Amino acid sequence: MGKLPPSLRSAKLPLPFHKPPPSPSPPSPSTPLSQSPSPPERSVFFRSPLKKPKKPSKTPRGTLNPSPPPPQQHVFRSPLLSDAISTFDALAASSPSSLDPTSLLQSFCNAGASPADALSFLRHISPSLAPGRASFHVLLGHSCLHHSAPDPASVLDLMSDNGSPPDAASADLAVRALCSADRLDDACVLLRDRLASAADRFTYNFLVRRFARFRPISTVYALIKELRGVGLQPDVVTYTNLIDAVCRGRNLREATRLLGMLADAGFKPDCYVYNVIMKGYCMVDQYGEVMEVYNRMKDEGIEPDLVTYNTLVYGLSKAGMLTQAKKFLNVMADMGHFPDVVTYTSLMGGMCRKGDALGALKLLEEMEEKGCNPNECTYNTLLMGLCKSKCLDKGMQLYQEMIAKAMKLENATYATFVRALCRANKIAEAYEVFDYAIDSKSLTDVTAYMALENSLKWLNKAKVINEIRADSILQIRLLAN
Amino acid sequence: MVVGQQARKAMLGECPKKVARLIDLVNLPSNLREFAGGQSQMAHLSFFIRVWSHIKTHNLQDPNNKNLVNCDDKLKSILLGKTQVELSKLPMLINLHFPKPSK
Repeated sequence: MGKLPPSLRSAKLPLPFHKPPPSPSPPSPSTPLSQSPSPPERSVFFRSPLKKPKKPSKTPRGTLNPSPPPPQQHVFRSPLLSDAISTFDALAASSPSSLDPTSLLQSFCNAGASPADALSFLRHISPSLAPGRASFHVLLGHSCLHHSAPDPASVLDLMSDNGSPPDAASADLAVRALCSADRLDDACVLLRDRLASAADRFTYNFLVRRFARFRPISTVYALIKELRGVGLQPDVVTYTNLIDAVCRGRNLREATRLLGMLADAGFKPDCYVYNVIMKGYCMVDQYGEVMEVYNRMKDEGIEPDLVTYNTLVYGLSKAGMLTQAKKFLNVMADMGHFPDVVTYTSLMGGMCRKGDALGALKLLEEMEEKGCNPNECTYNTLLMGLCKSKCLDKGMQLYQEMIAKAMKLENATYATFVRALCRANKIAEAYEVFDYAIDSKSLTDVTAYMALENSLKWLNKAKVINEIRADSILQIRLLAN
Repeated sequence: MVVGQQARKAMLGECPKKVARLIDLVNLPSNLREFAGGQSQMAHLSFFIRVWSHIKTHNLQDPNNKNLVNCDDKLKSILLGKTQVELSKLPMLINLHFPKPSK
Protein backbone atom coordinates (compact mmCIF):
# COMPACT_ATOMS: atom_id res chain seq x y z
CA MET A 1 0.00 0.00 0.00
CA GLY A 2 1.53 3.25 -1.04
CA LYS A 3 1.50 5.67 1.80
CA LEU A 4 3.99 8.16 0.51
CA PRO A 5 3.18 11.77 0.11
CA PRO A 6 2.02 12.54 -3.40
CA SER A 7 4.91 14.91 -3.91
CA LEU A 8 7.28 11.98 -3.51
CA ARG A 9 5.20 9.63 -5.57
CA SER A 10 5.49 11.88 -8.54
CA ALA A 11 9.24 11.71 -8.20
CA LYS A 12 9.47 8.01 -8.88
CA LEU A 13 6.92 7.68 -11.62
CA PRO A 14 8.31 5.34 -14.20
CA LEU A 15 8.39 7.62 -17.18
CA PRO A 16 10.17 6.84 -20.39
CA PHE A 17 13.55 8.47 -20.64
CA HIS A 18 12.92 10.37 -23.80
CA LYS A 19 9.59 12.04 -23.61
CA PRO A 20 7.92 13.33 -26.73
CA PRO A 21 7.88 17.13 -27.09
CA PRO A 22 6.23 18.62 -24.03
CA SER A 23 2.59 19.48 -23.84
CA PRO A 24 1.95 23.11 -22.88
CA SER A 25 0.58 22.26 -19.41
CA PRO A 26 3.14 21.21 -16.82
CA PRO A 27 2.32 17.66 -15.69
CA SER A 28 3.54 18.05 -12.13
CA PRO A 29 4.05 21.11 -9.97
CA SER A 30 6.67 19.38 -7.84
CA THR A 31 9.64 19.70 -10.18
CA PRO A 32 9.90 23.19 -11.54
CA LEU A 33 12.56 22.59 -14.11
CA SER A 34 13.10 23.84 -17.56
CA GLN A 35 12.37 21.54 -20.40
CA SER A 36 14.94 20.15 -22.69
CA PRO A 37 13.04 19.26 -25.80
CA SER A 38 13.84 15.87 -27.16
CA PRO A 39 12.44 14.35 -30.31
CA PRO A 40 10.10 11.39 -30.06
CA GLU A 41 12.47 8.57 -29.61
CA ARG A 42 12.01 5.49 -31.72
CA SER A 43 15.50 4.20 -31.91
CA VAL A 44 15.92 0.54 -32.58
CA PHE A 45 19.51 0.50 -31.43
CA PHE A 46 19.39 1.85 -27.97
CA ARG A 47 16.74 1.69 -25.32
CA SER A 48 17.70 3.61 -22.27
CA PRO A 49 16.77 2.02 -18.95
CA LEU A 50 16.66 5.41 -17.30
CA LYS A 51 13.46 6.80 -15.94
CA LYS A 52 13.67 10.48 -16.48
CA PRO A 53 12.06 12.86 -14.04
CA LYS A 54 9.06 14.80 -15.11
CA LYS A 55 10.22 18.00 -16.62
CA PRO A 56 7.41 20.43 -17.11
CA SER A 57 7.95 23.15 -19.65
CA LYS A 58 7.80 26.09 -17.33
CA THR A 59 10.09 28.68 -18.76
CA PRO A 60 12.10 28.02 -21.84
CA ARG A 61 15.46 29.54 -21.05
CA GLY A 62 18.69 30.21 -22.87
CA THR A 63 18.83 29.63 -26.58
CA LEU A 64 16.16 27.02 -26.36
CA ASN A 65 13.90 26.76 -29.35
CA PRO A 66 10.27 27.16 -28.18
CA SER A 67 8.69 25.30 -31.07
CA PRO A 68 8.93 21.52 -31.01
CA PRO A 69 11.96 20.32 -32.92
CA PRO A 70 11.43 18.79 -36.34
CA PRO A 71 11.20 15.00 -36.33
CA GLN A 72 14.77 13.89 -36.86
CA GLN A 73 14.72 10.76 -34.79
CA HIS A 74 16.02 8.53 -37.53
CA VAL A 75 18.87 10.74 -38.63
CA PHE A 76 21.66 8.61 -37.23
CA ARG A 77 21.65 4.87 -37.36
CA SER A 78 25.25 4.17 -36.51
CA PRO A 79 26.98 4.80 -33.17
CA LEU A 80 30.22 5.66 -35.00
CA LEU A 81 31.44 9.24 -34.81
CA SER A 82 32.73 9.34 -38.40
CA ASP A 83 29.37 8.21 -39.82
CA ALA A 84 27.53 10.79 -37.76
CA ILE A 85 29.82 13.61 -38.87
CA SER A 86 29.45 12.75 -42.56
CA THR A 87 25.66 12.47 -42.21
CA PHE A 88 25.59 15.82 -40.46
CA ASP A 89 27.72 17.48 -43.12
CA ALA A 90 25.41 16.18 -45.84
CA LEU A 91 22.38 17.46 -43.93
CA ALA A 92 23.95 20.84 -43.26
CA ALA A 93 24.73 21.22 -46.96
CA SER A 94 21.18 20.41 -48.09
CA SER A 95 18.89 22.07 -45.51
CA PRO A 96 20.86 24.00 -42.91
CA SER A 97 17.82 25.91 -41.55
CA SER A 98 15.85 22.92 -40.34
CA LEU A 99 18.64 21.53 -38.16
CA ASP A 100 18.29 21.55 -34.39
CA PRO A 101 21.43 20.73 -32.38
CA THR A 102 19.47 19.15 -29.51
CA SER A 103 17.55 16.66 -31.57
CA LEU A 104 20.63 15.82 -33.63
CA LEU A 105 22.59 15.10 -30.48
CA GLN A 106 19.73 13.15 -28.99
CA SER A 107 19.46 11.06 -32.10
CA PHE A 108 23.17 10.34 -32.04
CA CYS A 109 23.00 9.33 -28.36
CA ASN A 110 20.01 7.10 -29.08
CA ALA A 111 21.96 5.35 -31.79
CA GLY A 112 24.25 4.09 -29.04
CA ALA A 113 27.12 6.55 -29.22
CA SER A 114 29.55 6.68 -26.32
CA PRO A 115 29.55 9.89 -24.24
CA ALA A 116 33.02 10.78 -25.56
CA ASP A 117 31.82 10.51 -29.16
CA ALA A 118 28.73 12.55 -28.33
CA LEU A 119 30.96 15.27 -26.90
CA SER A 120 33.16 15.29 -30.01
CA PHE A 121 30.05 15.44 -32.17
CA LEU A 122 28.77 18.43 -30.22
CA ARG A 123 32.13 20.12 -30.73
CA HIS A 124 31.90 19.40 -34.45
CA ILE A 125 28.45 20.91 -34.91
CA SER A 126 28.86 23.83 -32.53
CA PRO A 127 30.48 26.23 -35.04
CA SER A 128 27.46 26.06 -37.37
CA LEU A 129 24.72 25.46 -34.78
CA ALA A 130 25.00 27.05 -31.37
CA PRO A 131 24.19 24.40 -28.78
CA GLY A 132 21.74 25.57 -26.12
CA ARG A 133 21.25 24.44 -22.56
CA ALA A 134 18.99 21.68 -23.79
CA SER A 135 21.76 20.19 -25.92
CA PHE A 136 24.08 20.17 -22.94
CA HIS A 137 21.39 18.49 -20.88
CA VAL A 138 21.16 15.68 -23.41
CA LEU A 139 24.91 15.25 -23.17
CA LEU A 140 24.83 15.47 -19.38
CA GLY A 141 22.14 12.83 -19.07
CA HIS A 142 23.97 10.59 -21.48
CA SER A 143 27.30 10.87 -19.70
CA CYS A 144 25.66 10.23 -16.30
CA LEU A 145 24.22 6.98 -17.60
CA HIS A 146 27.55 5.62 -18.79
CA HIS A 147 30.59 4.94 -16.73
CA SER A 148 33.10 5.85 -19.40
CA ALA A 149 34.66 9.27 -19.87
CA PRO A 150 33.84 12.15 -20.06
CA ASP A 151 32.48 12.22 -16.59
CA PRO A 152 29.54 14.53 -15.84
CA ALA A 153 31.78 17.13 -14.20
CA SER A 154 33.52 17.90 -17.51
CA VAL A 155 30.16 18.41 -19.20
CA LEU A 156 29.31 20.87 -16.43
CA ASP A 157 32.60 22.70 -17.11
CA LEU A 158 31.70 22.87 -20.77
CA MET A 159 28.30 24.32 -19.91
CA SER A 160 29.84 27.08 -17.79
CA ASP A 161 32.35 27.87 -20.55
CA ASN A 162 29.58 28.24 -23.11
CA GLY A 163 27.64 30.77 -21.09
CA SER A 164 24.89 28.52 -19.78
CA PRO A 165 25.94 27.56 -16.25
CA PRO A 166 24.22 24.54 -14.72
CA ASP A 167 20.84 25.36 -13.19
CA ALA A 168 18.38 23.43 -11.04
CA ALA A 169 17.28 21.36 -14.01
CA SER A 170 20.85 20.32 -14.77
CA ALA A 171 21.39 19.30 -11.15
CA ASP A 172 18.17 17.32 -11.07
CA LEU A 173 18.90 15.63 -14.37
CA ALA A 174 22.44 14.68 -13.36
CA VAL A 175 21.50 13.35 -9.92
CA ARG A 176 18.56 11.33 -11.15
CA ALA A 177 20.48 9.91 -14.08
CA LEU A 178 23.37 8.90 -11.80
CA CYS A 179 20.98 7.33 -9.31
CA SER A 180 19.22 5.32 -11.97
CA ALA A 181 22.59 4.06 -13.15
CA ASP A 182 23.24 2.91 -9.54
CA ARG A 183 25.96 5.49 -9.04
CA LEU A 184 24.73 6.84 -5.73
CA ASP A 185 28.15 7.83 -4.47
CA ASP A 186 29.00 9.65 -7.70
CA ALA A 187 25.71 11.51 -7.43
CA CYS A 188 26.56 12.53 -3.86
CA VAL A 189 30.03 13.76 -4.81
CA LEU A 190 28.76 15.65 -7.86
CA LEU A 191 26.01 17.34 -5.88
CA ARG A 192 28.37 18.29 -3.07
CA ASP A 193 31.26 19.57 -5.17
CA ARG A 194 29.65 21.02 -8.26
CA LEU A 195 25.93 21.55 -8.00
CA ALA A 196 25.31 22.59 -4.40
CA SER A 197 24.33 26.12 -5.35
CA ALA A 198 22.16 25.13 -8.31
CA ALA A 199 20.33 22.19 -6.76
CA ASP A 200 16.85 22.66 -5.35
CA ARG A 201 14.88 20.86 -2.66
CA PHE A 202 13.53 18.21 -5.01
CA THR A 203 16.95 17.07 -6.12
CA TYR A 204 18.21 17.03 -2.55
CA ASN A 205 15.25 15.07 -1.22
CA PHE A 206 15.40 12.67 -4.11
CA LEU A 207 19.01 11.83 -3.32
CA VAL A 208 18.34 11.47 0.40
CA ARG A 209 15.41 9.20 -0.32
CA ARG A 210 17.50 7.03 -2.59
CA PHE A 211 20.19 6.77 0.07
CA ALA A 212 17.65 5.98 2.77
CA ARG A 213 16.24 3.24 0.60
CA PHE A 214 19.44 1.45 -0.23
CA ARG A 215 21.98 2.36 2.43
CA PRO A 216 22.14 2.00 6.22
CA ILE A 217 20.74 4.91 8.14
CA SER A 218 24.15 6.00 9.47
CA THR A 219 25.33 6.59 5.88
CA VAL A 220 22.29 8.76 5.29
CA TYR A 221 23.09 10.85 8.37
CA ALA A 222 26.64 11.28 7.07
CA LEU A 223 25.26 12.41 3.71
CA ILE A 224 22.95 14.94 5.32
CA LYS A 225 25.82 16.27 7.40
CA GLU A 226 28.04 16.58 4.33
CA LEU A 227 25.38 18.36 2.31
CA ARG A 228 24.62 20.67 5.22
CA GLY A 229 28.22 21.83 4.89
CA VAL A 230 27.50 23.10 1.35
CA GLY A 231 24.28 24.83 2.32
CA LEU A 232 21.62 22.19 1.72
CA GLN A 233 19.43 21.84 4.79
CA PRO A 234 16.99 19.03 5.52
CA ASP A 235 13.29 19.97 5.50
CA VAL A 236 10.03 18.29 6.49
CA VAL A 237 10.05 16.07 3.41
CA THR A 238 13.58 14.91 4.20
CA TYR A 239 12.58 13.98 7.73
CA THR A 240 9.46 12.22 6.44
CA ASN A 241 11.62 10.14 4.14
CA LEU A 242 14.01 9.32 6.97
CA ILE A 243 11.20 8.30 9.31
CA ASP A 244 9.74 6.15 6.56
CA ALA A 245 13.09 4.50 5.99
CA VAL A 246 13.68 3.66 9.66
CA CYS A 247 10.10 2.42 10.00
CA ARG A 248 10.74 0.12 7.08
CA GLY A 249 13.64 -1.26 9.07
CA ARG A 250 11.27 -1.67 12.04
CA ASN A 251 13.28 0.76 14.11
CA LEU A 252 10.62 2.70 15.97
CA ARG A 253 13.00 4.12 18.54
CA GLU A 254 15.02 5.86 15.84
CA ALA A 255 11.77 7.10 14.32
CA THR A 256 10.78 8.67 17.62
CA ARG A 257 14.19 10.32 17.87
CA LEU A 258 13.80 11.71 14.36
CA LEU A 259 10.41 13.08 15.30
CA GLY A 260 12.09 14.93 18.15
CA MET A 261 14.75 16.22 15.74
CA LEU A 262 12.03 17.41 13.41
CA ALA A 263 10.45 19.44 16.20
CA ASP A 264 13.89 20.78 17.28
CA ALA A 265 14.59 21.93 13.74
CA GLY A 266 11.47 24.08 13.99
CA PHE A 267 9.23 22.12 11.64
CA LYS A 268 5.66 21.27 12.38
CA PRO A 269 4.77 17.69 11.49
CA ASP A 270 2.29 17.57 8.62
CA CYS A 271 -0.15 15.00 7.36
CA TYR A 272 2.53 13.01 5.56
CA VAL A 273 4.70 12.71 8.66
CA TYR A 274 1.78 11.30 10.57
CA ASN A 275 0.88 8.94 7.74
CA VAL A 276 4.38 7.56 7.82
CA ILE A 277 4.24 7.14 11.60
CA MET A 278 0.92 5.36 11.35
CA LYS A 279 2.37 3.06 8.74
CA GLY A 280 5.35 2.49 11.01
CA TYR A 281 3.13 1.24 13.80
CA CYS A 282 1.43 -1.10 11.35
CA MET A 283 4.84 -2.38 10.27
CA VAL A 284 5.78 -3.35 13.82
CA ASP A 285 2.41 -4.99 14.43
CA GLN A 286 1.19 -2.39 16.91
CA TYR A 287 -2.02 -1.86 15.05
CA GLY A 288 -3.90 -0.45 18.02
CA GLU A 289 -1.61 2.60 18.06
CA VAL A 290 -3.00 4.01 14.81
CA MET A 291 -6.00 5.36 16.68
CA GLU A 292 -3.72 7.35 19.00
CA VAL A 293 -1.84 8.81 16.07
CA TYR A 294 -5.14 9.80 14.51
CA ASN A 295 -6.27 11.47 17.74
CA ARG A 296 -3.00 13.36 17.94
CA MET A 297 -3.50 14.58 14.39
CA LYS A 298 -6.93 15.81 15.28
CA ASP A 299 -5.61 17.55 18.40
CA GLU A 300 -3.07 19.40 16.30
CA GLY A 301 -5.69 20.31 13.75
CA ILE A 302 -4.12 18.50 10.83
CA GLU A 303 -6.44 17.47 8.06
CA PRO A 304 -6.19 13.70 7.40
CA ASP A 305 -6.13 12.59 3.76
CA LEU A 306 -7.21 9.41 2.00
CA VAL A 307 -3.95 7.66 2.84
CA THR A 308 -4.44 8.46 6.53
CA TYR A 309 -7.89 6.95 6.52
CA ASN A 310 -6.78 3.90 4.57
CA THR A 311 -3.94 3.26 7.01
CA LEU A 312 -6.29 3.81 9.91
CA VAL A 313 -8.88 1.35 8.59
CA TYR A 314 -6.11 -1.13 7.82
CA GLY A 315 -4.66 -0.87 11.32
CA LEU A 316 -8.02 -1.06 13.07
CA SER A 317 -9.05 -4.05 10.97
CA LYS A 318 -5.84 -5.84 11.81
CA ALA A 319 -6.33 -5.04 15.48
CA GLY A 320 -9.80 -6.51 15.28
CA MET A 321 -11.59 -3.24 16.06
CA LEU A 322 -14.04 -3.69 13.24
CA THR A 323 -16.91 -1.56 14.50
CA GLN A 324 -14.55 1.39 14.72
CA ALA A 325 -13.10 0.65 11.31
CA LYS A 326 -16.56 0.57 9.76
CA LYS A 327 -17.41 3.83 11.48
CA PHE A 328 -14.52 5.45 9.67
CA LEU A 329 -15.97 4.53 6.29
CA ASN A 330 -18.70 7.07 6.98
CA VAL A 331 -16.35 9.56 8.61
CA MET A 332 -14.07 9.60 5.59
CA ALA A 333 -16.97 9.93 3.18
CA ASP A 334 -18.17 12.92 5.23
CA MET A 335 -14.73 14.47 4.92
CA GLY A 336 -14.85 14.09 1.16
CA HIS A 337 -12.51 11.11 0.87
CA PHE A 338 -14.48 8.25 -0.59
CA PRO A 339 -13.39 4.77 0.48
CA ASP A 340 -11.46 3.09 -2.32
CA VAL A 341 -10.52 -0.46 -3.06
CA VAL A 342 -7.71 -0.36 -0.48
CA THR A 343 -10.10 0.70 2.26
CA TYR A 344 -12.61 -1.99 1.45
CA THR A 345 -9.99 -4.70 1.09
CA SER A 346 -8.47 -3.85 4.49
CA LEU A 347 -11.88 -3.99 6.08
CA MET A 348 -12.70 -7.28 4.36
CA GLY A 349 -9.40 -8.70 5.57
CA GLY A 350 -10.34 -7.74 9.13
CA MET A 351 -13.77 -9.29 8.83
CA CYS A 352 -12.36 -12.49 7.37
CA ARG A 353 -9.88 -12.71 10.20
CA LYS A 354 -12.79 -12.50 12.63
CA GLY A 355 -14.48 -15.34 10.76
CA ASP A 356 -17.16 -13.16 9.20
CA ALA A 357 -16.39 -14.04 5.60
CA LEU A 358 -20.02 -13.84 4.55
CA GLY A 359 -20.18 -10.29 5.88
CA ALA A 360 -17.08 -9.53 3.83
CA LEU A 361 -18.79 -10.96 0.77
CA LYS A 362 -21.70 -8.60 1.38
CA LEU A 363 -19.23 -5.75 1.59
CA LEU A 364 -17.95 -6.76 -1.86
CA GLU A 365 -21.46 -6.29 -3.27
CA GLU A 366 -21.76 -2.99 -1.47
CA MET A 367 -18.50 -1.70 -2.88
CA GLU A 368 -19.38 -2.81 -6.39
CA GLU A 369 -22.71 -0.99 -6.04
CA LYS A 370 -20.80 2.14 -5.15
CA GLY A 371 -18.80 1.83 -8.33
CA CYS A 372 -15.54 0.71 -6.74
CA ASN A 373 -13.97 -2.16 -8.66
CA PRO A 374 -12.35 -4.93 -6.62
CA ASN A 375 -8.82 -5.93 -7.55
CA GLU A 376 -6.73 -9.05 -7.27
CA CYS A 377 -5.92 -8.40 -3.64
CA THR A 378 -9.61 -8.08 -2.76
CA TYR A 379 -10.47 -11.38 -4.36
CA ASN A 380 -7.53 -13.15 -2.74
CA THR A 381 -8.46 -11.82 0.70
CA LEU A 382 -12.06 -12.90 0.26
CA LEU A 383 -11.24 -16.34 -1.12
CA MET A 384 -8.93 -17.07 1.77
CA GLY A 385 -11.52 -15.83 4.27
CA LEU A 386 -14.25 -17.96 2.72
CA CYS A 387 -12.07 -21.07 2.78
CA LYS A 388 -11.10 -20.50 6.38
CA SER A 389 -14.66 -20.00 7.56
CA LYS A 390 -15.76 -23.18 5.76
CA CYS A 391 -17.85 -21.53 3.05
CA LEU A 392 -16.16 -23.51 0.30
CA ASP A 393 -19.11 -23.31 -2.11
CA LYS A 394 -19.03 -19.52 -2.09
CA GLY A 395 -15.28 -19.69 -2.36
CA MET A 396 -15.49 -21.81 -5.49
CA GLN A 397 -17.94 -19.35 -7.04
CA LEU A 398 -15.53 -16.54 -6.27
CA TYR A 399 -12.69 -18.60 -7.73
CA GLN A 400 -14.65 -18.96 -10.99
CA GLU A 401 -15.03 -15.19 -11.09
CA MET A 402 -11.29 -14.87 -10.58
CA ILE A 403 -10.64 -17.22 -13.49
CA ALA A 404 -13.01 -15.21 -15.65
CA LYS A 405 -11.08 -12.06 -14.81
CA ALA A 406 -7.72 -13.83 -15.26
CA MET A 407 -6.61 -12.88 -11.75
CA LYS A 408 -3.63 -14.42 -10.06
CA LEU A 409 -3.69 -16.37 -6.82
CA GLU A 410 -1.49 -15.37 -3.94
CA ASN A 411 0.56 -17.99 -2.19
CA ALA A 412 -1.39 -18.09 1.08
CA THR A 413 -4.73 -18.02 -0.70
CA TYR A 414 -3.71 -20.86 -2.98
CA ALA A 415 -2.51 -23.03 -0.10
CA THR A 416 -5.65 -22.40 1.95
CA PHE A 417 -7.92 -23.04 -1.00
CA VAL A 418 -6.23 -26.30 -1.95
CA ARG A 419 -6.30 -27.48 1.65
CA ALA A 420 -10.00 -26.70 1.92
CA LEU A 421 -10.72 -28.54 -1.33
CA CYS A 422 -8.79 -31.62 -0.19
CA ARG A 423 -10.57 -31.57 3.13
CA ALA A 424 -13.89 -31.59 1.27
CA ASN A 425 -12.56 -34.54 -0.77
CA LYS A 426 -12.57 -32.53 -3.99
CA ILE A 427 -9.18 -33.77 -5.09
CA ALA A 428 -9.84 -33.33 -8.80
CA GLU A 429 -10.78 -29.69 -8.22
CA ALA A 430 -7.63 -29.21 -6.17
CA TYR A 431 -5.61 -30.50 -9.13
CA GLU A 432 -7.42 -28.03 -11.39
CA VAL A 433 -6.51 -25.17 -9.06
CA PHE A 434 -2.93 -26.44 -9.16
CA ASP A 435 -3.03 -26.26 -12.95
CA TYR A 436 -4.54 -22.78 -12.90
CA ALA A 437 -1.92 -21.50 -10.47
CA ILE A 438 0.84 -22.67 -12.78
CA ASP A 439 -0.84 -21.62 -16.03
CA SER A 440 -1.64 -18.14 -14.76
CA LYS A 441 1.93 -17.85 -13.46
CA SER A 442 0.64 -17.01 -9.98
CA LEU A 443 3.18 -19.24 -8.32
CA THR A 444 6.24 -21.19 -9.27
CA ASP A 445 5.47 -24.83 -9.93
CA VAL A 446 7.58 -25.83 -6.92
CA THR A 447 5.50 -23.74 -4.51
CA ALA A 448 2.27 -24.92 -6.07
CA TYR A 449 3.30 -28.55 -5.97
CA MET A 450 4.53 -28.44 -2.40
CA ALA A 451 1.26 -26.98 -1.15
CA LEU A 452 -0.71 -29.61 -3.04
CA GLU A 453 1.49 -32.45 -1.82
CA ASN A 454 1.26 -31.26 1.78
CA SER A 455 -2.52 -31.07 1.65
CA LEU A 456 -2.77 -34.54 0.16
CA LYS A 457 -0.33 -35.94 2.69
CA TRP A 458 -2.42 -34.47 5.45
CA LEU A 459 -5.58 -35.92 3.89
CA ASN A 460 -4.15 -39.40 3.64
CA LYS A 461 -2.91 -39.28 7.21
CA ALA A 462 -6.35 -38.21 8.38
CA LYS A 463 -7.90 -41.08 6.43
CA VAL A 464 -5.60 -43.60 8.03
CA ILE A 465 -6.35 -42.24 11.49
CA ASN A 466 -10.07 -42.44 10.82
CA GLU A 467 -9.75 -46.03 9.65
CA ILE A 468 -7.81 -46.98 12.77
CA ARG A 469 -10.40 -45.25 14.89
CA ALA A 470 -13.25 -47.06 13.12
CA ASP A 471 -11.41 -50.34 13.51
CA SER A 472 -10.88 -49.84 17.19
CA ILE A 473 -14.51 -48.86 17.76
CA LEU A 474 -15.52 -52.02 15.94
CA GLN A 475 -13.19 -54.11 18.06
CA ILE A 476 -14.48 -52.57 21.25
CA ARG A 477 -18.03 -53.31 20.19
CA LEU A 478 -17.10 -56.88 19.34
CA LEU A 479 -15.40 -57.28 22.69
CA ALA A 480 -18.40 -55.83 24.46
CA ASN A 481 -20.64 -58.31 22.74
CA MET B 1 4.32 -3.96 1.61
CA VAL B 2 2.32 -6.61 3.44
CA VAL B 3 2.39 -8.86 0.44
CA GLY B 4 6.15 -8.46 0.32
CA GLN B 5 6.48 -9.67 3.88
CA GLN B 6 4.32 -12.68 3.14
CA ALA B 7 6.36 -13.53 0.10
CA ARG B 8 9.54 -13.34 2.11
CA LYS B 9 8.08 -15.62 4.78
CA ALA B 10 7.02 -18.05 2.10
CA MET B 11 10.52 -18.06 0.67
CA LEU B 12 12.02 -18.75 4.08
CA GLY B 13 9.42 -21.43 4.76
CA GLU B 14 10.55 -23.47 1.81
CA CYS B 15 13.46 -25.64 2.72
CA PRO B 16 16.03 -25.28 -0.04
CA LYS B 17 16.88 -28.97 0.14
CA LYS B 18 13.28 -29.90 -0.52
CA VAL B 19 13.11 -27.54 -3.45
CA ALA B 20 16.33 -28.93 -4.84
CA ARG B 21 15.01 -32.47 -4.54
CA LEU B 22 12.04 -31.44 -6.66
CA ILE B 23 13.80 -29.59 -9.43
CA ASP B 24 17.18 -31.26 -9.74
CA LEU B 25 17.62 -33.65 -12.63
CA VAL B 26 18.02 -37.25 -11.58
CA ASN B 27 18.78 -40.43 -13.49
CA LEU B 28 15.49 -42.19 -14.10
CA PRO B 29 15.23 -45.92 -13.37
CA SER B 30 14.87 -47.92 -16.56
CA ASN B 31 11.17 -48.68 -16.08
CA LEU B 32 10.31 -44.97 -16.08
CA ARG B 33 12.30 -44.07 -19.14
CA GLU B 34 9.73 -45.26 -21.61
CA PHE B 35 7.06 -43.11 -19.97
CA ALA B 36 9.38 -40.12 -19.93
CA GLY B 37 9.61 -40.29 -23.69
CA GLY B 38 12.99 -41.92 -23.78
CA GLN B 39 14.68 -39.32 -21.60
CA SER B 40 17.16 -40.76 -19.16
CA GLN B 41 17.11 -37.77 -16.80
CA MET B 42 14.18 -35.83 -15.43
CA ALA B 43 13.30 -33.80 -12.36
CA HIS B 44 10.84 -35.14 -9.84
CA LEU B 45 8.46 -32.24 -10.40
CA SER B 46 8.50 -32.42 -14.19
CA PHE B 47 7.85 -36.13 -13.98
CA PHE B 48 4.82 -35.51 -11.74
CA ILE B 49 3.48 -32.87 -14.11
CA ARG B 50 4.03 -35.24 -17.01
CA VAL B 51 2.02 -37.97 -15.33
CA TRP B 52 -0.78 -35.55 -14.48
CA SER B 53 -0.95 -34.16 -17.99
CA HIS B 54 -0.96 -37.73 -19.32
CA ILE B 55 -4.03 -38.39 -17.17
CA LYS B 56 -5.69 -35.24 -18.45
CA THR B 57 -4.96 -35.71 -22.13
CA HIS B 58 -6.12 -39.34 -22.16
CA ASN B 59 -9.22 -38.66 -20.00
CA LEU B 60 -8.25 -41.29 -17.49
CA GLN B 61 -10.23 -39.85 -14.61
CA ASP B 62 -13.19 -42.02 -13.65
CA PRO B 63 -16.31 -40.28 -15.05
CA ASN B 64 -18.34 -41.08 -11.92
CA ASN B 65 -15.71 -40.10 -9.42
CA LYS B 66 -13.17 -37.61 -10.66
CA ASN B 67 -10.92 -38.42 -7.72
CA LEU B 68 -10.13 -41.83 -9.15
CA VAL B 69 -7.88 -42.60 -12.07
CA ASN B 70 -8.32 -45.67 -14.26
CA CYS B 71 -4.82 -46.51 -15.33
CA ASP B 72 -3.97 -47.38 -18.89
CA ASP B 73 -1.07 -49.69 -19.66
CA LYS B 74 1.43 -46.89 -19.68
CA LEU B 75 0.38 -45.67 -16.24
CA LYS B 76 0.25 -49.19 -14.87
CA SER B 77 3.88 -49.64 -15.75
CA ILE B 78 4.91 -46.81 -13.48
CA LEU B 79 2.25 -46.95 -10.74
CA LEU B 80 3.03 -50.40 -9.32
CA GLY B 81 0.70 -52.14 -11.79
CA LYS B 82 -2.50 -50.88 -10.17
CA THR B 83 -5.62 -50.70 -12.29
CA GLN B 84 -7.11 -47.82 -10.33
CA VAL B 85 -5.43 -45.23 -8.14
CA GLU B 86 -6.76 -42.38 -6.05
CA LEU B 87 -5.71 -38.97 -7.26
CA SER B 88 -4.78 -38.09 -3.68
CA LYS B 89 -2.23 -40.95 -3.59
CA LEU B 90 -0.58 -39.89 -6.83
CA PRO B 91 2.23 -37.77 -5.31
CA MET B 92 3.12 -40.56 -2.88
CA LEU B 93 3.19 -43.17 -5.61
CA ILE B 94 5.49 -41.01 -7.67
CA ASN B 95 7.63 -40.29 -4.62
CA LEU B 96 8.41 -44.00 -4.49
CA HIS B 97 10.43 -43.63 -7.69
CA PHE B 98 12.33 -40.68 -6.30
CA PRO B 99 13.67 -41.89 -2.97
CA LYS B 100 15.30 -39.47 -0.57
CA PRO B 101 19.06 -39.70 -0.89
CA SER B 102 20.44 -41.67 2.03
CA LYS B 103 23.03 -39.86 4.07
